[in-house]
Amino acid sequence: MHSTEIHTYLHRFFKENNCEVLHGNEHYLTVQLTIDMDKRIMNRPFYWRYIESVNETPNPAQLTLITDMEQLQHGMKGEVIHLGSPRLHQLFRVTKEMGQFVKMYERLVEVNKQIVLTPWVGVNYKVSFISHQTKEMLYSLGINLMTGAVVKDFQEAISLRDMTEQQSEHVFHLPYIITPVRALDRLDAVITQVIENEDLTWIDEAEKRWKKDLAVLDYFYEEQEQKPESYENEKRAMEERFKPRMTLDIVNGGLFYLK
Amino acid sequence: MLIERSSSWKEGFIKRLENHEPWDSSTLYNMSYAITKNNLITDFTGLQSLAYLPNIKPLPHQLQAAERVIEQMNGKAILADEVGLGKTIEAGLIIKEYMLRGLVKKVLILVPASLVNQWIEELYTKFHIPALLYKKNYELDYVDVVVMSMDTAKRSPHKEKIFAQDYDLIIVDEAHKLKNHKTISYEFVKSLKKKFCLLLTATPIQNDIFELFYLVTLLKQGHLGNYEEFSAVFSTKVRDEERDGYLRELVSQVMVRNRRQDTGVEWSTRKVHAIPITFTDKEKQVYAAVSNLKNISSVFSDAFSTMTLQREMCSSPDATIGTLMKLRQECKQPEEITYVEKILGQLESLPLHSKAKKATELIIQAKDKVIIFTEYRMTQLYLSDYLYANGISNVIFNGKLSKSSREWIKHLFKQQAQVLIATESGAEGINLQFCHHVINYDLPWNPMKLEQRIGRVHRLGQEHDVQIYNLAVKDTIDDHVMNVLQGKIDTFEQVVGELDDILVMKEQSV
Repeated sequence: MHSTEIHTYLHRFFKENNCEVLHGNEHYLTVQLTIDMDKRIMNRPFYWRYIESVNETPNPAQLTLITDMEQLQHGMKGEVIHLGSPRLHQLFRVTKEMGQFVKMYERLVEVNKQIVLTPWVGVNYKVSFISHQTKEMLYSLGINLMTGAVVKDFQEAISLRDMTEQQSEHVFHLPYIITPVRALDRLDAVITQVIENEDLTWIDEAEKRWKKDLAVLDYFYEEQEQKPESYENEKRAMEERFKPRMTLDIVNGGLFYLK
Repeated sequence: MLIERSSSWKEGFIKRLENHEPWDSSTLYNMSYAITKNNLITDFTGLQSLAYLPNIKPLPHQLQAAERVIEQMNGKAILADEVGLGKTIEAGLIIKEYMLRGLVKKVLILVPASLVNQWIEELYTKFHIPALLYKKNYELDYVDVVVMSMDTAKRSPHKEKIFAQDYDLIIVDEAHKLKNHKTISYEFVKSLKKKFCLLLTATPIQNDIFELFYLVTLLKQGHLGNYEEFSAVFSTKVRDEERDGYLRELVSQVMVRNRRQDTGVEWSTRKVHAIPITFTDKEKQVYAAVSNLKNISSVFSDAFSTMTLQREMCSSPDATIGTLMKLRQECKQPEEITYVEKILGQLESLPLHSKAKKATELIIQAKDKVIIFTEYRMTQLYLSDYLYANGISNVIFNGKLSKSSREWIKHLFKQQAQVLIATESGAEGINLQFCHHVINYDLPWNPMKLEQRIGRVHRLGQEHDVQIYNLAVKDTIDDHVMNVLQGKIDTFEQVVGELDDILVMKEQSV
């Protein structure tokens, strides 16, 4: 993410959350936080508890976020934001929390024709392979609630369509045959299949390294009948280091009505 | 294999389907997907963290070291680059990468007290890692990255607090301080669980090969076999090429060592000068009298006190007088006392010590900033007085200075004084790239101390060739010190690898 992308992201994020941009240019912005956003990101629960208990007028904070320090006059006060800065990661987290569940409709302009939309459940999965190293994969799956057909790259597909949160009149929304909850279970089975078809040689590699280190440790304590604490300690550390694991997270998902 | 999954999203989805809670914004939904995609760790290998670190430009050897530790050494390594090549940067890269990959959350960094603040500042400014300086009554539950002085950490109640936590990564800076396996520090680090562990030291061997054995064993028990087998093979004085090669190979599996010439950086070179000094007749007489003390009185009969006095005599009369005065208290027989008093009298009447005279000549010749290292505080004052009397501005630096005084003295040396006179204990952790003349007035027993001394000036940022002058008095204990040093350097090179020049043997000198 370049500084211009980060800048665009910040603008959209605050606008979407009704935080007014007071001033700024393409290298920085100063925003007035809403009460809700202040509570989410400013980390001052005592202030808010106090204000609310004495019924005083709340004064949510203003933030100045600088995305390109070099372009600015020295003496500018604010937080410098780049891909590694803790503040940006906090905003990423908030974005994730606030964008988990959607219901969207495809918008179509067709004259003199009855529009019929089909319900889908779409889910974005993040798969993590974890041992002494990690790898992550993102899968976007969608399932047609009429036919049960499953498609991949669902998010890419809907990003090409004109989608809206508003349900329009004169459009017929087919009632689903497969319930969304059943559909979700079906997608979970599909994603499991997908994972099992991934290259899983990393599991063998991790176990090979684990066994090798364990053999060295066992040799070191070979003579001792009663293994000391340090042996068990190291064995535990080894398990934490090498034991292969897979986790499946749902980034977000929702109900989609598509033509 | 079992796939770990959580049902919380499904529960939230059902709540929305049943209209118990509102749906989220589609804009944030799309942004969240884009961010996740953008920040995905797409590869098992490679340093993904570099994109997150715009404030640093690591050197190639630092990147390679970090990758090698993570990919080949499974996050357990001794970082043993030569002094001044940026071991802290390598460690920072490794911490950042593991944190980004979610493999490390809690980090414990153990360092000498004098380096605590430096670590915190570097982690924050270069790596955006907020590390906390441990204070006595802090709770560690909510602190992810903590920097502690080793001396604090190993003591109660602090060590109990550490044991109560579950650290993913343990880092020990200046890890050569763990060379003695009988110390509390060693025992303490040994008892910590080490999922990932980095030991940082420029000098993994200081005296003998067993120090390396214990250091490696601390990191990875059994990697060099057990002690009995190891000592059976290595305690013999005879060197065996094949055996040394095998050990070097094993060590290289857990140790990264970059030398200056491996870095791709244009380094200034070291010019080591052996400066032999001849005692005057008067000095020779006193030296002989000091050496003879062991035959006069039982107070001086142990080898150690004679050796100390001889070493001091090769340094300055003042250093010798200090020790001799102390030992005189223990003398009971009148004839012993008379003999000692006679030497004291001779010492006091000696003209300028030959070594001090030579050092002064070298300073005048250099016409530039010079650091003098001595082993003795008394010599430090002796030299300081003499240089002042001769119009050479100087400041003194030793272990007793507080942190702020150290900074102040360093500043004075940079701005005003021509000479800095330092003792060993003052040398750690200060960077003096603006100076390129080092006089080793006394030689230490340990070559790594010599390397640490030179490392103060010969580090990244040094633009001139570094001139090193090793002073030694002919036909005295100094010869013996030289031989011991050379022997230890040989051991180091056979097992760890080449060492940059720190010594020129007499036969090679002009």
